[in-house]
Order: sequence, then C-alpha cells, then structure tokens
Amino acid sequence: MPGLAQTLFITASGAGMNLRPHHFILWALFIAGMLLMPELVGRGTLRTMVFACYLAIFAISWDILSGRTGYISFGHPFLVGIGAYTTAILTRRYGFPVEASIPIAVLVTMFGGLIVLLPALRIKGSYFALVTLAVMELMYQLVPVVRPDLTGGTRGISRLPALTRGAENGYYLAVCLMLAVALFAWLLMRTRLGTALWAIGQNEESVRGSGLSTTRLKSFAFLVSAAIAGLGGAFYAHYLGTITPRAFFDINVLFQIIVAVLIGGAGTILGPIIGAFFMVFLLEWLRPFLPGQERFFVYGAIALLIYMYQPKGIMAIIESGITRLRGART
Amino acid sequence: MTLKYGIAASVAATLLATTAIADIKVGFIGSLSSDTGLSTLRGAEMAIEELNAAGGVMGEQITLVTADTGEDVTEGVKAYEYLAETEEVDFVISGSIDDVSLGWLPRMQEFQIPTLDTWTSYIGIIDQVIEEPDLMAPYFMNIASDEALATLYINFGADVLKAKMGWESVVILAEDTAFGEAITGLVTEALGPVAGIETKEIITYDIGTVDFAPLFSKAQASGADFIYQVSSVNSQVISSQYVKLQVPMAMTGVNVSALGMEYWEDTGGAGGGISTLSPIPSVGFELDPVSAKFVADYQAKYTSRPVMPHFNGFNAYHGLKQAMAAAEEAGGFGDVKAWNAAMLKQDLKLEKDGKLWLRYGFWQHGEVEEVTGRTYPQNARFDLTAPYDDAQPSMVVIQWKEDGTVGVVYPFEYANTEFEVPSWVK
Repeated sequence: MPGLAQTLFITASGAGMNLRPHHFILWALFIAGMLLMPELVGRGTLRTMVFACYLAIFAISWDILSGRTGYISFGHPFLVGIGAYTTAILTRRYGFPVEASIPIAVLVTMFGGLIVLLPALRIKGSYFALVTLAVMELMYQLVPVVRPDLTGGTRGISRLPALTRGAENGYYLAVCLMLAVALFAWLLMRTRLGTALWAIGQNEESVRGSGLSTTRLKSFAFLVSAAIAGLGGAFYAHYLGTITPRAFFDINVLFQIIVAVLIGGAGTILGPIIGAFFMVFLLEWLRPFLPGQERFFVYGAIALLIYMYQPKGIMAIIESGITRLRGART
Repeated sequence: MTLKYGIAASVAATLLATTAIADIKVGFIGSLSSDTGLSTLRGAEMAIEELNAAGGVMGEQITLVTADTGEDVTEGVKAYEYLAETEEVDFVISGSIDDVSLGWLPRMQEFQIPTLDTWTSYIGIIDQVIEEPDLMAPYFMNIASDEALATLYINFGADVLKAKMGWESVVILAEDTAFGEAITGLVTEALGPVAGIETKEIITYDIGTVDFAPLFSKAQASGADFIYQVSSVNSQVISSQYVKLQVPMAMTGVNVSALGMEYWEDTGGAGGGISTLSPIPSVGFELDPVSAKFVADYQAKYTSRPVMPHFNGFNAYHGLKQAMAAAEEAGGFGDVKAWNAAMLKQDLKLEKDGKLWLRYGFWQHGEVEEVTGRTYPQNARFDLTAPYDDAQPSMVVIQWKEDGTVGVVYPFEYANTEFEVPSWVK
C-alpha cells in the first residue's frame, strides 16, 4: 500500500502533473489581468473585489475538502472563525505582531479543526454534514460566553491592526493571497494526490480497494482546507478591523461559501473564484436599484436559474461554450 | 438616428441637472426592513426635505442615498464602503445596531467621513473617542450611551422596584446578543449593589426561541421576585407569551418591540403589563410642540409602519439638521476637525410648558458628568439627576397597560402613569 508520504514524494517531483506551456500562459494572463484591475476600475469596485477575493479563498478551501472528496462540510465558517479569532486575540489581547499572529492562526486552525472535525471524517454523507454544522453552531453559542474577556463576547473584538489602508492596497493584498491559494490548489490537484482526492468523491470504496488509505487522504485534504481557511480568516479579520461572532459563525456565511462553489463549479479551481465574484458583484450591482433585502431574492432567483440550467455551475457553461465554438470552427 | 440623439441628449441633460443640484450627498446606513432603520431613514428624509425647501445648505441641495445593512455585520462594512467609495457621500447617518456599527467603524476611521450614529449606544465607542480623538473626530452618537441609560435605570430599580414594589431579588432572562450581554452585565453589576436587588439566576436564550414556557418555568423556580427581560430581537414573542401564559410573576426590563406603536398589534393585543426602558422620546412620552409637529408631519407623510418614529427618528431629524448647520459653519464637511468643532457647539433646547423638555446637544471633551464621574465626548447630552434641568433624562421607563394604552412610569418628573403589575400577578 503506497503511503501518503510516498504519494507526496512522487507528485512533488512533478511526475504526472501534466503541465503544458498553455497552462503557464493562461495563468500568467489571469494573474496579469487581476493585477491590472486597479488601473481599470474605480475604488468602489476594488472594495467589492476585495470581498470577492476573500470569499473565493474560503470557497477554494471548502472545495478542496467537500468539492473533491464529496464530504460536504457545513462547519467551514468554524475554521475561518478560528483563524480570525486567533489572530485577533493574539494581536489585541497579547500584543503579538501580525507577522507572528497570522502563521500561529493558521496552525491553530489546523490543530483546532483536527481535534474537533477530524473524528467526523469517519462518518459519511449527511451525518458528516450534520456533525460539522453542529460544531459551527456550538462555536457560535460558545464564543460569546466562554472567556468573553478574550473574545469580546457578542460584540467581538474591535480595533484590529490593519495590514494595509486604502482600496488599492487592500485589493493587492487580497488578490495576491487569492492567486497564491488558487495556484497552490491547482498544482496540488494536478498531482496524484489530487487525483486520489477526486477519486474518493467518485467512489471511496474503489480507492480503498486500490490500496490507498482513504482516511489519510481525507485527513490531508482536511488539513490543507483548514490551513487555507485559517489563513484567509486571519487576513480577512485584519481587513475588516473588527470581528464579531455573527460575522463569522452565522449560517449565512456558510451559505455564501457553498453557493459560491456550486454556482461557479465544484471540483475546479476557477469555479469557486467565478462563483464568489459572481455572487458578490451581483449583490453590489443590484444595490442601487434594489437597496433593500429584495436584491437577495433577485440574486437567489438568478442563482437558482443558473443552477437549474447547469448544475455543474458557470465553469461548465463556459466549457461547453468553448467546446461549441471549437466544434463550429471545425 | 434622431431618436438616438434625442435619448442621449435627454440622458445627458438629466445627468447634468442631477449633478447641478445634488451637491451635498448624505448616505443612510442601516436596515431598510426594520422599524428602527426606517425611523432613522425617515427622520433624515424629513430633515433634508425641510432644508432643501428652505434653500439647501450653503446654497446647495441635499440628496440622500441608502445602503442597506440587513442588520448583518459584513453587509454593514460593504454598505459603508459603498457609500464612501461608490457614492462618495459627504455625510453618513446611521440607524445601525451595535455590532453593525462596530463593523463599519474602522471604515469610518479610514475614510474620515462625518458620521452620526442615531441608534447605537455602546459606551465602548465613546471610549474610543476619548482614546483616539483625532481618528474618531468624524463620529458623533446622539443617543445617550448605554452606561448612562443603565445608570438611570438603576435608580428606577431603587425608587420603584425596591422601594415601591418591595422586590428584593431578580432572575434575568436575556437573549444571546451583544445587546443582551451588555445590559445583563450592567444589571448584575449595578442593579444589585446600588438598588439592593439580588440576582438569583441568569437565563440566556437563543433569539430564535419560539417557546418560552420552559424558560418562564425555570424563572419561577429560581424563587426571584420578578423577571428582568433583555430582548431586542423578536421581542414581541417573549412578551406575548408572558401575557398569554399569564406567568405569575412580574416582568420588566428591556423589550425593543415595545418601543414602537406597532407593539400592540404585533402581539395581537397580548402585550399588557410589559414595561421597558426606552431612550427618549418614547411611545407614551409627552411631546413638546416642536417634536409634536415632527410627529404630525411624519404621520402625514408616511402611512406604513412605524406609524410613530422611534427615538432614533427624532435623533436623525434633529441630528441631520445640526450636522448641516455645523457644515455651514465649518465651510463644508471636508475639514473634519472644523466640522467636529462646529458640531460640538450644536445645542437645540426644546421646552414644554416653560420647562426644558428635550435637549439635542453634545458632551464636550474633558467635561465630566457628575453622577458617573466620567466624560462622554461627542455623545448626546443627558441628565441623570432630578429635576433634569440641564437636559432630558438618559431614558424613561414606559409600561403598556392591559387596555392597550402606554405611558411613562419613570422618572417621576416625566411620568404620566404609575408602574403596576399585571392583573394576574398577585
């Protein structure tokens, strides 16, 4: 039975990643396009893009675990929240510099998630989803009451040190983080490890039958997912400047993450990014025309229509469009 | 072609006309679907209409744009960014609840846009004003902060709950929100020691709770003399169940739904006996002529709920006019320090029957309030000592009677009815 280390060793050497020149060209164009945005759009749009970038990071993180392996996690805001609260507590209560608090937040998220959620990976399907949902809800209830001197209770923690100021700087930070996470996830998913994770989502028994340890693979996916969620949560907390339990552990946060992945296209890298940008921008574009809660109904209806038309999301619509174009040329 | 040019010319003319008259832009931030948010929005709308009708400010007309928060913290941050970066407003008026205000506060500090908070009463924000006056120069809160609200409420505990009713112990029934936590802390830390009322138990409940019967049973089992409820979300549920179940012990406290005239309808008439702390002016509060005219104009203009503006509607109406007057003195909103200095000087005194009734002014930096012994810079001015001749009290206690009427029961100088327990409580 090849172990996880062996699988990692094989993939780290680059064997089987099937990288082609056009991959690098497309990534370079994508990165350049994103970095050029401040020259093309206004500050208001940049602010919206910052939120989209952070949502994309959370969505990619969720997709690594749930989109690939099929283990639907309803507890992802729990991981994001651990990252956010750890760096907030360390910087505001103990005077840690952010250079130290963010890496610690990532480690704490991985460790905290490992203790709480990893045992749940031994159960399947809706049971796993329900356990993770319960963990998130528990966190929502506990944060305000356990050590409110540290967590700030329901009013949270204010005056977190800002990493940058201004729309452009905030955008560059968020987009660089998102691009780094996306590139890392893309490379990871092109390895045999990524293939094995995808295979678990298709048929876990077959993967186990082929001699791979699915528990280890799932644990690995979970740790990577938690690390990205913790990283994103920590940066996001410093961007917001204030964190409260409602902003992180609310069920709406979970819905946003999952809908971003499903609308964009689960099991892909660009899908969650497209989904996150689509969601955030649609809501903001509707704001001047529908300033109240009506815009959420319109947005929900559009999302539902897209999902009904193509359950695999916008990525699948784009891919089928490209295929048709190619077919028309030939 | 002619049609195209015609449309283009019309659009251009409209845009130019809009630009020519829309020189001062006010942004509203708050919930567009709550009575609280709508109160602030409508108060601001009425003030703007009156100012525009009188020629505007500095010869310019004022326009209002809205940004809905949906009472969500993250949406609040996006809303403030939208107002600042996309709409590029000159001034922000807020009807946000506590944690939403805390969410957008870092954005206000970054953009330095003069901002008036009409609902949030969190003393921690005033503490920030004290600690970082330059960074917080654009911020004003024209509702008495929660510490001032609580201080006077403690007097109600001593003067009425203890002295008049003879109650000596309380069980707190509080929702699990920032508001619930803050009020619970103040009651347990202050009500007990000052008013001599012992806290027997604190029962916290989820804001989604629909069946309060077990919680009322638990409260009764505590052996306390009365229940202190702290409820700002879905408050009509707890109060209507209290009435329908005829819980045999008295209940007072803070119930936000009881602050509006819709309370009686929302509870299906099952709201009698409920009393709550309320900032001023509240329902049941006698109004001075200026405030009465505001309410009459409001009711002539708006037919949907809230039929009577909540206190923050009054705050928005007077506060926005004061912010514009300060801008006129400071030469606009651009120089935040100059605007801050001019805003601190704003002082509107409203009298009723020859007595100072309401005052819309602000505490100055370094000015110490005598009862609490602390400062409240850029916070609404209030008075904690009878006969309240410097300003209005920080709060009143109102009570809904079983016949659907409502009145003020405390402080005695503002009272128009007496505090009493419901008929089913012996």
